Amino acid sequence: MFIDMHVHPAFFEPINEDAGVEQLRHDVLNIHKNGTAPLEHIFNQMKCASLDRLCLLPEDYSTQVGRAIVTNEEIRKLLDLAPDKFIGFAGADPYDVKAAEKLEYAFTELKLSGLKLHPSRQHFYPNDAILGPLIEICERYNKPIIFHSGLSIEPNTYTKYARPTEFEELAANHPNLRICLAHFGWPWVQETAMLMLKYPNVYADTGLLYFDNAYEFYERVFHQDMPVTWIDRSLRHQVMFGSNNPRFEQIRMADAITKLGFRDSTLELIKGGNALEFLNGR
Amino acid sequence: MVLLKQIKLLTTGYNQFVLITEQVMELVRESNIKNGMVHVITKHTTTGITVNESLECLESDIEEFLARLVPEHFPYAHARMLPDYGSTAGNPTGHLKAHLTGNHCHFVISDGDVLKGDAGRAL
Repeated sequence: MFIDMHVHPAFFEPINEDAGVEQLRHDVLNIHKNGTAPLEHIFNQMKCASLDRLCLLPEDYSTQVGRAIVTNEEIRKLLDLAPDKFIGFAGADPYDVKAAEKLEYAFTELKLSGLKLHPSRQHFYPNDAILGPLIEICERYNKPIIFHSGLSIEPNTYTKYARPTEFEELAANHPNLRICLAHFGWPWVQETAMLMLKYPNVYADTGLLYFDNAYEFYERVFHQDMPVTWIDRSLRHQVMFGSNNPRFEQIRMADAITKLGFRDSTLELIKGGNALEFLNGR
Repeated sequence: MVLLKQIKLLTTGYNQFVLITEQVMELVRESNIKNGMVHVITKHTTTGITVNESLECLESDIEEFLARLVPEHFPYAHARMLPDYGSTAGNPTGHLKAHLTGNHCHFVISDGDVLKGDAGRAL
């Protein structure tokens, strides 16, 4: 089982019937000239990358831009179109007074598998009390949270909110809450590794490709910024493959992750085993 | 008289030949143009159009020829975050292979049909 835990479906054709909404997505996400992708194209891309499942992540900045960029209902719609290929997360805007109510609905009625939050874009620190109701719901329903961490290319984002060390209090105070630091917290990958070593409820995904090509950048991060042995020996149960498609190169990243010299058993965990534990609990 | 028709294709492989000869010939027949030229041009800069014989062995040779000239792993400059796209460029090999094949081919239309050699196919 090969799972891409970090896919943004904002430009999937079935949820882009409205040209105005599509343009809003281009503007807010700062992704351009990519058009929209029919699901047949997505499935072909999965086949080229040898991927079995995609975890679809929405964005909800509704108090800032007037609507969720991708709604939880749209995630549900995509899941219904390909239930054997997609896993769906919920979005929530912590500043929305109805955020908790919407999140509970997303878990109980829409049957979504976790929560995606973006501190840099939504402008909150991970230990901010405003997250309390959302965290309580995630713990009650045993649902994990994926946080954007490190650099964001989106406009109106501030990296200070998503530096890995900002997540320590959250990880320490909620040991039963599984959290993922997306993009491995780049450029602070050693801080991310530090948190993962200390807190087994902290995961990271590999959705990072900010310079060079997929293999070159992975080689830089996972061989030079940290030796490959850190993951292969110590963090092997906490790293999940993610591409951050469409911002990054899903097919080439899926290939590059297999060429870094991890043991086969570690690679299997990164490709899917860890994602299943992150989603369902150990 | 100029008539513009579009063919939309979804590829299923990382590198793939798609035979479009029959579709081009059908569009020419439908056009009712008896004598002239048909220009087949791709809009996408990582796709190419060429004319050759569509034999399994030749397609394999062409694919390996392109792969030798444009290896997958090479320090290409087109591997960086592109501000205009907001995404990372990772497809230099597609661009360079398209550069080698060119983005178009032409056929003469004679008596309402495409004039080509028996072996000629548009890929």
